[in-house]
Amino acid sequence: MKIVREALAGTMESSDLMVRIAPTEEGLEVSIHSEVMKQFGDQILQVVHATLGAMDVHQGFIIIEDKGALDCVIRARLQSAILRAAEPTEINWEKLL
Amino acid sequence: MQTQSPIVFRCTEVSSNPQRLTAIRKLLADSHLEMDGDITTFVEARAGNRVVGCAGLAGNVIKCVAVTPQLRGENLSAQLLTEVENLALSRGHFHLFLYTRPCNRDRFEHNGFWPIVQSGNDTILMENIPSGIQRYCHTLQAYRVPGKRIGSIVMNANPFTLGHRHLVEQAAKSCDWLHLFVVREDASFFPFSARLKMVNMGVSDLANVTVHQGSEYIISRATFPTYFLKETCKVQQAWSETDLLIFRNYIAPALGITHRFIGSEPFCDVTHQYNQTMYRVLAGTIEVIEIPRIKATDKAISASEVRRLLKTNQFSRIREIVPDTTFACLESDYARKSQKNQEYHYENC
Repeated sequence: MKIVREALAGTMESSDLMVRIAPTEEGLEVSIHSEVMKQFGDQILQVVHATLGAMDVHQGFIIIEDKGALDCVIRARLQSAILRAAEPTEINWEKLL
Repeated sequence: MQTQSPIVFRCTEVSSNPQRLTAIRKLLADSHLEMDGDITTFVEARAGNRVVGCAGLAGNVIKCVAVTPQLRGENLSAQLLTEVENLALSRGHFHLFLYTRPCNRDRFEHNGFWPIVQSGNDTILMENIPSGIQRYCHTLQAYRVPGKRIGSIVMNANPFTLGHRHLVEQAAKSCDWLHLFVVREDASFFPFSARLKMVNMGVSDLANVTVHQGSEYIISRATFPTYFLKETCKVQQAWSETDLLIFRNYIAPALGITHRFIGSEPFCDVTHQYNQTMYRVLAGTIEVIEIPRIKATDKAISASEVRRLLKTNQFSRIREIVPDTTFACLESDYARKSQKNQEYHYENC
């Protein structure tokens, strides 16, 4: 999916996360800031990149402010933000599961 | 135990809800804050019929964030920020700035804001994009030119006059290279595109000048809000130090700037004060050189005078104080506009 506009999803409540997405001229940049970076940084990174990959996002600026969210929450918030930021297309729900 | 009312958020437009502002003012006063004149919207957090928290939005700038003392430590400011961020995005502002006291820095850093500069013990300016200012400076570095004396000017050029031309000429003459920034904020009589075009045309014959489009980091609503309030509102506080700290700490190093040139300011108090602050903030890092204004028929030339003359269609007098390039813009636009209606509204040149 192509990121064409700026979008937000989530909150800064504990156990949640805030996702900010903006289009870029080229390239994909992911910035993750987390309260539990030391303990779960690798896992968060893995979930984020897997979600981006599943939705074919290869371009954009993704800013994540994590407050210790579970993997399923990270995936859900990131998916919402991407859908809001992308050109409306037929959604492939199977890929979002 | 006392039962607490649930917290609900509501949006208050300053212009259409004056009766709601009393409670907000009181909450701000409890936090030793005053309501800034450029805030258009407040997000209020309410418990029952009490206002327990608020955050103000002025364009892409969040300020006047306050929480009632009884509810501090419950992360209410994070909720306020989320609300205000969504509101700002719905109005087209993604990249946001936040003014707060340095003692709140940690709290906002945990809520997705990154510090830019701190001005004394009073204010710190933050932004919601990690290393936003560094990214901007990285793009500036492409325009770096080697040399011993690298000058800079920041101007609004509303519109570009013979006074501006004189300043640029003098500065360019005394420097190896000159970086000229045109204020980007569209809050002036002439829109940014028109001002940029007039500056580009007005200095095109000077070989050692780069004209830069300004940004939100250089005389913008975020870095220097009072500059854009001077014609419409009472100025409550000059924030100019923040703007100059950003210039000193980030922009000047990115371009290797050694000098900053300013025109003397006999008319406008806000600009005069900005210039005075400049000497203090840039001292020891960047040399400030003030160039006296040139005069036409005994009166110092100013852009505000051109705007005044424009309103009364005094084109022959305008011709005496603007370069031919600017005059051509003004005249062609006037001719086009006057066919449509009598009043002069400037759009583009």
